[in-house]
Amino acid sequence: MATLDDPGEVREGFLCPLCLKDLQSFYQLQSHYEEEHSGEDRDVKGQIKSLVQKAKKAKNKLLKREGDDRAEAGAHGYESFSYGGVDPYMWEPQELGAVRSHLSDFKKHRAARIDHYVVEVNKLIIRLEKLTAFDRANTESAKIRAIEKSVVPWVNDQDVPFCPDCGNKFSIRNRRHHCRLCGSIMCKKCMELIGLPWANKLTSASKDSLSTHTSPSQSPNSVHGSRRGSISSMSSVSSVLDEKDDDRIRCCAHCKDTLLKREQQINEKEHTPDIVKLYEKLRLCMEKVDQKAPEYISMAASLNAGETTYSLEHASDLRLEVQKVYELIDALSKKILTLGLNQDPPPHPHTLRLQRMIRYSATLFVQEKLLGLMSLPTKEQFEELKWKRKQDLERKRTMERQVSLESQRRLEVRQSGLSSRAANGEVTSLRRGPAPLRKAEGWLPLSEGQGQREDPDPLLQQIHNITSFIRQAKAAGRVDEMCTLQENLRQLQDEYDQQQTEKAIELSRRQAEEEDLQREQLQMLWEREREREQEQFRVSSFHTRTRSLDFRELTPFQLEPSPGPRTHLTYALDLDPSPPQSGTAPETPSPTVARVPGQGMSQHSDTSSLNPFAQGLCSPTEEGVASPAAAEAALCPAAATLKEYNPFEEEEEEGEQEKASGNPFGDPDRPGPNPFDEEDDHPPPGPSSPPAPGNPFEEPVCTNPFEVDSDEAEEPIEEELLLQQIDNIKAYIFDAKQCGRLDEVEVLTENLRELKCTLAKQKGGPD
Amino acid sequence: MNVVFAVKQYVSKMIEDSGPGMKVLLMDKETTGIVSMVYTQSEILQKEVYLFERIDSQNREIMKHLKAICFLRPTKENVDYLIQELRRPKYSIYFIYFSNVISKSDVKSLAEADEQEVVAEVQEFYGDYIAVNPHLFSLNILGCCQGRNWDPAQLSRTTQGLTALLLSLKKCPMIRYQLSSEAAKRLAECVKQVITKEYELFEFRRTEVPPLLLILDRCDDAITPLLNQWTYQAMVHELLGINNNRIDLSRVPGISKDLREVVLSAENDEFYANNMYLNFAEIGSNIKNLMEDFQKRKPKEQQKLESIADMKAFVENYPQFKKMSGTVSKHVTVVGELSRLVSERNLLEVSEVEQELACQNDHSSALQNVKRLLQNPKVTEFDAARLVMLYALHYERHSSNSLPGLIVDLRNKGVSEKYRKLVSAVVEYGGKRVRGSDLFSPKDAVAITKQFLKGLKGVENVYTQHQPFLHETLDHLIKGRLKENLYPYLGPSTLRDRPQDIIVFVIGGATYEEALTVYNLNRTTPGVRIVLGGTTVHNTKSFLEEVLSSGLHSRGRESSQVTSRSASRR
Repeated sequence: MATLDDPGEVREGFLCPLCLKDLQSFYQLQSHYEEEHSGEDRDVKGQIKSLVQKAKKAKNKLLKREGDDRAEAGAHGYESFSYGGVDPYMWEPQELGAVRSHLSDFKKHRAARIDHYVVEVNKLIIRLEKLTAFDRANTESAKIRAIEKSVVPWVNDQDVPFCPDCGNKFSIRNRRHHCRLCGSIMCKKCMELIGLPWANKLTSASKDSLSTHTSPSQSPNSVHGSRRGSISSMSSVSSVLDEKDDDRIRCCAHCKDTLLKREQQINEKEHTPDIVKLYEKLRLCMEKVDQKAPEYISMAASLNAGETTYSLEHASDLRLEVQKVYELIDALSKKILTLGLNQDPPPHPHTLRLQRMIRYSATLFVQEKLLGLMSLPTKEQFEELKWKRKQDLERKRTMERQVSLESQRRLEVRQSGLSSRAANGEVTSLRRGPAPLRKAEGWLPLSEGQGQREDPDPLLQQIHNITSFIRQAKAAGRVDEMCTLQENLRQLQDEYDQQQTEKAIELSRRQAEEEDLQREQLQMLWEREREREQEQFRVSSFHTRTRSLDFRELTPFQLEPSPGPRTHLTYALDLDPSPPQSGTAPETPSPTVARVPGQGMSQHSDTSSLNPFAQGLCSPTEEGVASPAAAEAALCPAAATLKEYNPFEEEEEEGEQEKASGNPFGDPDRPGPNPFDEEDDHPPPGPSSPPAPGNPFEEPVCTNPFEVDSDEAEEPIEEELLLQQIDNIKAYIFDAKQCGRLDEVEVLTENLRELKCTLAKQKGGPD
Repeated sequence: MNVVFAVKQYVSKMIEDSGPGMKVLLMDKETTGIVSMVYTQSEILQKEVYLFERIDSQNREIMKHLKAICFLRPTKENVDYLIQELRRPKYSIYFIYFSNVISKSDVKSLAEADEQEVVAEVQEFYGDYIAVNPHLFSLNILGCCQGRNWDPAQLSRTTQGLTALLLSLKKCPMIRYQLSSEAAKRLAECVKQVITKEYELFEFRRTEVPPLLLILDRCDDAITPLLNQWTYQAMVHELLGINNNRIDLSRVPGISKDLREVVLSAENDEFYANNMYLNFAEIGSNIKNLMEDFQKRKPKEQQKLESIADMKAFVENYPQFKKMSGTVSKHVTVVGELSRLVSERNLLEVSEVEQELACQNDHSSALQNVKRLLQNPKVTEFDAARLVMLYALHYERHSSNSLPGLIVDLRNKGVSEKYRKLVSAVVEYGGKRVRGSDLFSPKDAVAITKQFLKGLKGVENVYTQHQPFLHETLDHLIKGRLKENLYPYLGPSTLRDRPQDIIVFVIGGATYEEALTVYNLNRTTPGVRIVLGGTTVHNTKSFLEEVLSSGLHSRGRESSQVTSRSASRR
């Protein structure tokens, strides 16, 4: 905005949101805040801060390469589609659903049961200890028997005519044997023996564990066994004919079973399998990465931005360290994968699956994290970056100065509108206080990522703020507040519309003057960025001229291309030769277009207006959206005409055209889907939309509601044809470029320029 | 009110509570489905869950170095399996979560089986439904009714699912139901019963306007599940079938091995999330963008990989590239198959007539169009039958109804008897006699004007004219105009304000078209949040199965032989 004395000028620059005093730079604004409004509202300060942070972030992002932009656009896609209600995908976070615990109940029942088993197992262990406490080898068998009998009362022989395990009848040949642990009787076949070393192991381990661990190992079988044992209380006549195996202790299968389980438990407790050891190491490494990687990333980001907060050497050391950990993770997980593969009985398939999964997840981890590990600049690059950054800063400072000069002039002109606005500003900022919602999120109008950062027009800023407050009020269900706010909003919008009208007239007059200055700036800013741009620059230079060049405007839109252009992009980029549906695709502007709310539209026009830059910066994603004209053409309600001028279709899919006529979605009779017509109903939440009126191509047709109303009915049709033509040619250029036919590009560009001149003239006329 | 998130939160909580270390997730058939809808394998792997086992699988290995998280429905079989498991534990420690209310006696028998004290947690986490989309859930029950009444087993499962949903969202609702449906009333009563019985569970923070549960019956709108769909999700379900987010592509000619079955989940497929509600043509162009994007990222070997830096860049981008190539080939295949089917089955033409049958009231033109399509050899017997069904439903009582003639045409076309019988079964299922409200002719002045205007202006898109009946019902409900004589409250209290949180449940299954309607309502209606559920999510095929399994048969219109046959089926 180089022209200084402009009565209808939009106020921009660093306005104080509370008193609308215009301040020269951000730093002044901040200090102004702290002095003048420090007591008024803490929240507002938060707003400013978040504004600064956003601006900073935006700058960082600008420096990043392409690709990121698109992802960002996708993320914002949802938001901008929804108007009024909320996309279910965006529903606010909710707390965990209801739960109910049965643990205490469970424990109560278990404890009652378990006491019994603890006692049983402990009994067995104690008896076993007693049985092994003396020197069996050097004791007479009679004496051993006496000791054994004293440990547990033996069941009376007469009471048990059949072996309780196998059911065979006891006789002279099939004799009775007593379990030394529980005293029960079984036949020889069913008898088990416990070796002394094993018994020792059990008893010694139990001594340690019993004190701490209350859980005995027991199985249903052992329940049975011990019950049987407890039935017998009478002492019995000894079976005299027992053989001598003094080294071992006889017992029943159930007692043995119980002891075996006990042993297993003891073993498990002591033994950690290899996989667990390796796994623990692996997790340790991963934790280390989680710690170190963010640190490194912030370092690298800062260095790549040309800042000098961190030293390059330190960063590269850290990088090396992190990389080493990655290698370790890789090695460890590989080891886990191959664990036991060479063993003779190959591991259980589930074990193998476990190992595979661990390896897989480690790979995922490395892949994911390594990807985020950006590279560092080399020393030379770093120097260059530092230099660039300095330049950037300088440029910014110049810009600030310029802006402040401008805004000072404007201040006088717009005094009239001030009073009402100031009132509004206060109302809203006061309202901001009590809402609990906002505190957490800071300045909501910004944090919602609607695509505006610094609003050039305080009016728009207000409108935008209020819109977001309405949203908050809605969310909080305060209907009365909403009404007040909406009333407010309406007033603001009316005034804004009026301003726009004035401004538009003024701006078109200023076009020529502005042009030169802007071009100079543009050259300086972008020419060195890429050589490739040159090509495109020529194509689009005609637009460039007409755009406002405020650097700050660029920032938000680079970051958050609205979904509008994305959708239309699809038509312009209709390149795919393969699937049959390609025939049907291009003629379907209907639902998307109809759905895009006013907000999307206004952003849309902006994005396209910035196109020349976009092409320089992140061209691959946006090459296709050649211009606002293209986008506009795609928006044109008459789908039938769209069919004709879709350039790529003509070139590549001519054959499919007839088939396409059967397409369900290209109904030409769509009533009034053109969202531009609705601008009056929809508050333009993107405050940065006003720059667009400066564009002679765009403004008279769409952006300015005033103009739309006043336009003759025939006028746009002719324009449409022109626009179509322009669009076609652009597509040809694009195509030619793709194929490398540079001479063709040249001719076409010339052609295009001519057409645009005609269009501009035509539009200038009615104005 | 986000059901996907609700279930996801439950699962995350389970995993978190078990602490660090290697874990195995022990599930039953249904909970496997429930978890798989909200978590992908790689997502859950990151939480140290490396194995997924079914509680009923026999050859599980003893792995004492693993922690077991059991997420099970509280059925008798599961409790028995768990008792066996606890008697001989295979894992070091057990965290047990039931997806619904479990009886005290079951807890006791489990406690008594836990002799080795391996159980560290026993809780109820009410993730007892399939969360399809944030606003859509299903119970995957096909054939919930016998005739007009509930199959008792399914009634209890549905009650469980619905109460679990309420608990997971922490809603204690007022209940309204569709008066014309006995099943709806029954279900409403059962839900109420559970709420009363478990009143402690349902004690949530009171909201200003209490949430509302609206129970509907599919038979009130049999039209919607009979229509061909053109939005991505609905279309995929209609033409290919979505089962727990999985799509079986094995019948696609020339399909590659790793695309036999693909997963379409909005949770981790950005392209799908962005496009699931767009119509077919839009998807066509979007998929082109996806391809282009992909081609751009695809390394151009000959030129790009010359320097070491290039190679490094490639390697660093490789995982992303690979992921993307998966997405691209998946969607290209799916969309390709869809468009193949569309042209093969002449679906554009079929759909146009379907929409005419569903939305307009011109009998002679409709009849003419149906007759014309029945002559078309490209129209499959399935589509032919559905056209006749739509005709039969719409012009059931029309003075010059010529359904018998169409049935003859069907026979002449060689449509199998199964489908011909289904025509009358569908009428029996959702005919005028059954419907509580009028599907076809507008009721009040506003609606009449609307339709008149529509007739004047022409419609926006011939293929998507149809609005599910649910839209009108919900619209009235939101505006507080839903008639109490048709949709009464259960119990004495009524809602004085307009509802804010609405849960709609369709007995006999919802559809993706209705899900889209609800999605759009959510987005366009400030302050209102709607969740849609159904015993299942239907496409035409599954809907016809539902009709078949309900065992309703024709009365009179077709020959008596049909009557006896379908009667003997039950």
